[in-house]
Amino acid sequence: MLMLSLAVLLHVSPQNPPEPTVANLSEWLTLIEPAASEQAYREIGWRNALWPAVQEARKLGRPILFWTMNGHPLGCT
Amino acid sequence: MVWSDPEIAKLSREFVTVADEVYKLYPEDEWNLKRVQDTPAHKFFKRYGEAMPDGDWNRGGTKQGLYMIGPDGEYLEGRFAANGFPEDIKKRMKRALKRWQGLRQRKKYDNLPVPTVVTTLPPGVDGKPFVLRVHSRDLPRGEGDQCGRRFDPEVDLKSGWSDFKQWAWNENWLAVDKWQVLVPKGKQREVVDSAFVTKLAREMLIDNVRGQAGVWPKTAVKSAKLTMLGVRRAGGTKVTYRGEVELDDGARSIKLQLLGDAVYDNDHGRFRELRIVALGMRKGAHRFNQRDGDEGPAPIGFAVNLYRAPK
Repeated sequence: MLMLSLAVLLHVSPQNPPEPTVANLSEWLTLIEPAASEQAYREIGWRNALWPAVQEARKLGRPILFWTMNGHPLGCT
Repeated sequence: MVWSDPEIAKLSREFVTVADEVYKLYPEDEWNLKRVQDTPAHKFFKRYGEAMPDGDWNRGGTKQGLYMIGPDGEYLEGRFAANGFPEDIKKRMKRALKRWQGLRQRKKYDNLPVPTVVTTLPPGVDGKPFVLRVHSRDLPRGEGDQCGRRFDPEVDLKSGWSDFKQWAWNENWLAVDKWQVLVPKGKQREVVDSAFVTKLAREMLIDNVRGQAGVWPKTAVKSAKLTMLGVRRAGGTKVTYRGEVELDDGARSIKLQLLGDAVYDNDHGRFRELRIVALGMRKGAHRFNQRDGDEGPAPIGFAVNLYRAPK
């Protein structure tokens, strides 16, 4: 579990919620932020809007891979 | 998890890759559909979709999915709600590229190399001067609990997407105006502008770990406080932040403690770095955030960082 003290995590309960301190701030950030393997989607090189990508595909004469979701797939905003 | 598959990443390089919000392109409700139905992007996507086989295009429902499209909207492959199945996506991408070979010869498409691009931020955030990147994650609930563990491609690509609840996390981007209120004016601990903190709390501290959830309504804000203390040093002002947030809209609630730090560059009038962690307990569910059966109370964490675009 990274560097975070297990004692901190194992005693979490509604009566004893996790608390950030100056000493453990960096560890909490590391625990919550995604690892490189979790951000693999950003390695694909996504454009962020369909219509400009269509123009680009027409110019290049190439096919389009289109990923679409409720909430922008590159991050809810 | 699909994009962690190296073969899918490799196949994607044959395409112009684009991600976009389906609700703004092909909404399900009639009122919003009328609003976009004459836009070129909607017409392009609709024409393509209507050429798809039944079952792959969700005529009456959501168009969320993954689609492979020729430059003039020709059908190559695709399926709605396909994102969770890597093996199926691989097969479809291969079929799409096979169809593409025939199509490009027939239509004499140039098939020029696709330039490498860096993934951009969502529209509305991209290019803004002060952008916060917010990650949310479930935290372990005690000994042996797996919540919040890292996604492991070696294991999780084989086990199926339904296990995502163990390793789910989410990402949120926020373009922030009036960020200057985060710069301390004096040498004593100060209260950060209440309206600013309330807005950040409503828009940032949302339990979307497993699925989307809306911004908190104003009436949900029970408490939103942040204080800051600046210490001027050579090279900039070191700032520390402390705060607490409590939000409750009746269906879901969250109670968090905030702690962070930053370095403000006085000479250039900008933050060099800023990071805040928010930890606490969440309870309840939102319509789409997949907390049914897991309403808590359970621990949750948010990591907030000032985003710097890669150079």
